Amino acid sequence: MQPTQDVLIPEVIQQIPLTYYLILSTVLFIIGIIGVLTRRNAIIIFMSIELMLNAVNLLLIAFSSYKSDSAGQVFVFFIMAVAAAEVSVGLAIIVMIYRNTRSIDVGLLNKLKW
Amino acid sequence: MFPIVLLSVFAVVLLFLGFLKSRSVLLPATLLFLVAALVANFLDWNKTYLYFNSMLRTDNLSMVFTAIVLLSSFLVVALSGSFEDDEAAQPAEYYAIILFSLVGAIMMIGYENLVMLFVGVEILSVAMYILTGSDKRNLRSNEAALKYFLMGAFATGIMLFGMALLYGASGSFTLAGIASYASHAQQGLSLIFYVGLLMLLVGLLFKVSAAPFHFWTPDVYDGAPTIFTAYMSTVVKTAGFAALLHLLAASFTYVYSFWGIILAVVTAITLIAGNVTAVYQNSFKRMMAYSSISHAGYLLIGLAALSAQSRQAIVFYSLAYSIATISAFGVLMLVTRQRGMQTLSSNPLSNESFDAFNGLAKQNPLLGLAMATSMLSLAGIPLTAGFWGKFYMFSTAVERGQIWLLVVAVLMSAVGIYYYFRVIIAMYFRDGATEPIRISPVFRYVLVAAIILTIGLGVAPGLLQGLF
Amino acid sequence: MLSDFGTLLLFILAAFAFIALVLFGARFLRPDRPNIEKNSTYESGEEPVGNANIQFNIRFYVVALVFVLFDVELVFLFPWATVFGQARLIEATGGRWGWFALTEVILFVVVLALGLAYVWAKGYLDWVKPQPKLPTVETKVPMDLYKQVNERFK
Repeated sequence: MQPTQDVLIPEVIQQIPLTYYLILSTVLFIIGIIGVLTRRNAIIIFMSIELMLNAVNLLLIAFSSYKSDSAGQVFVFFIMAVAAAEVSVGLAIIVMIYRNTRSIDVGLLNKLKW
Repeated sequence: MFPIVLLSVFAVVLLFLGFLKSRSVLLPATLLFLVAALVANFLDWNKTYLYFNSMLRTDNLSMVFTAIVLLSSFLVVALSGSFEDDEAAQPAEYYAIILFSLVGAIMMIGYENLVMLFVGVEILSVAMYILTGSDKRNLRSNEAALKYFLMGAFATGIMLFGMALLYGASGSFTLAGIASYASHAQQGLSLIFYVGLLMLLVGLLFKVSAAPFHFWTPDVYDGAPTIFTAYMSTVVKTAGFAALLHLLAASFTYVYSFWGIILAVVTAITLIAGNVTAVYQNSFKRMMAYSSISHAGYLLIGLAALSAQSRQAIVFYSLAYSIATISAFGVLMLVTRQRGMQTLSSNPLSNESFDAFNGLAKQNPLLGLAMATSMLSLAGIPLTAGFWGKFYMFSTAVERGQIWLLVVAVLMSAVGIYYYFRVIIAMYFRDGATEPIRISPVFRYVLVAAIILTIGLGVAPGLLQGLF
Repeated sequence: MLSDFGTLLLFILAAFAFIALVLFGARFLRPDRPNIEKNSTYESGEEPVGNANIQFNIRFYVVALVFVLFDVELVFLFPWATVFGQARLIEATGGRWGWFALTEVILFVVVLALGLAYVWAKGYLDWVKPQPKLPTVETKVPMDLYKQVNERFK
């Protein structure tokens, strides 16, 4: 118990090399990007964006543990809080559109064209 | 720092003022709050402070940017006319959101830590999503809000990944920490540092609508209520460029050879895409959207060069651009409101086409003059502020020796003259069924102030020099 | 001495024990009078079985959105709590640290509470029952005639 926890926690994490975390979060991030670019349902696009943000969170946590620097974890808190605010605004926009069009397919939204 | 605290408190106060029966108190209150914030902004003048554990910094440059942002929002709020002609509007909320978004903008201007940059960008963007969709019954507004939101959140994700990679490479979120890591550029930096820088740049370039990340801009500017389009195209852009300038100047000067050329190419693409597409627009509002893309291009020249003059050039340009844009949108609001009443707006698009301005100057000389001044300023004709803005920008490019970029920029300004003059020709040389438009006193003051500022800065550009 | 996982196990066991205690305690204390309404999964009236792809009442969204916001903002209290209790900081400042940290978090919570007050005052938390719409028929027969008929054949 006595070895202080600041040291103990990174040791557990460091059994997996940092590169693996980097690859994992990059893959998650790319899945999110593909989701945003290919899906047509606003909610699913939205979920893909959340996936991207969570990939970032994972990456930040991994870096933060490896560097024994708490700044990365604090950043994660900020991302979570801001993402929640974004979620509420985004869902409100989607609900507003659903009320007007009875659909959340982004393909139907074509009033504005260049 | 003071404006951030003041504006946050004022915004909450404003939110609760909305429960009063009369709406008439809201507009003066908001204007008063903005003036108070503007005064408080200059309390630290000529001093440099770091606030909140070195999270935020105030120096003369950041104060000048803050002042521009506050001045623009003052003009926009004054033009809003407290939304009295719209029953469904919720002015207290709109004004409160504007004040909140200003807090985000000021954070973007004065950040010293990437956390603050992220929080600032998000406060500003989330507020903008709401304002874009504030016309709840209007499908165009809805669609613009959804597009803006999805694209904006996507860009935020990319920006965040970039920040995470930068943190992984340098081990710090502070600009100073990243700069000290980047100063070892000779020994070679890790690959993720460069990837992170690129992704962070992409995220920020998206927010200032630089090509090839500009696709959201015309739709969003077109769909949003005009008053908020004016706000978006000035405040967001100014804050975004302040953020980019600070980021690149404070942290990444050591790796200029890496991003300088990338940014120069982005600048050229932005200039071409914005100006050429603007020529083909029939709606004035869409033309202004593309014009704002092209002005992002001009502002990027100063960033891509990043010379000693860049700060001054960007400050001057964003001020000139903001004033001209706000007065142009103000006139557009008056014109569409009147045309909308005349034709009962069978097709909302026709109200915003260039034809709406036919013969405007004969019946409404003030409106004609205000619009003509702002168009001339945006086109960069001498004796207006826009000319000196472009002049300073181009001289930064010369200083850096980017002659090819300068050639592109000059050619594109020539293209710009074409579509800006379409409006002037419509106003002065075409006949249109117009009767005098009633202008409320506030509108008159704002337009006159915009004309005086634009021409004043055009005649004596040295007024702003040596301030910072 | 317990290892870290031992502490975790203790925590899990304690959680189970607490739940068991509360549930059984309630079982002995409460009156037991079940009916259909009480036994349904959601007493608010949502059907637990059936197609999930139906339109929920739009008011759920507002409440859910407000909940998500306030719920997630509280994540900031966790890092605050670890700093708040640090003995080193308290000793170094002679106890002033605690008050300082407490004031700061109270400010934070007050801002959140202001948001809640705004939502409340705006009436987004009221669960207004829909007004039943009475059908109106255009007819020349006066209303009191119907009333008389109703009275007579009561």
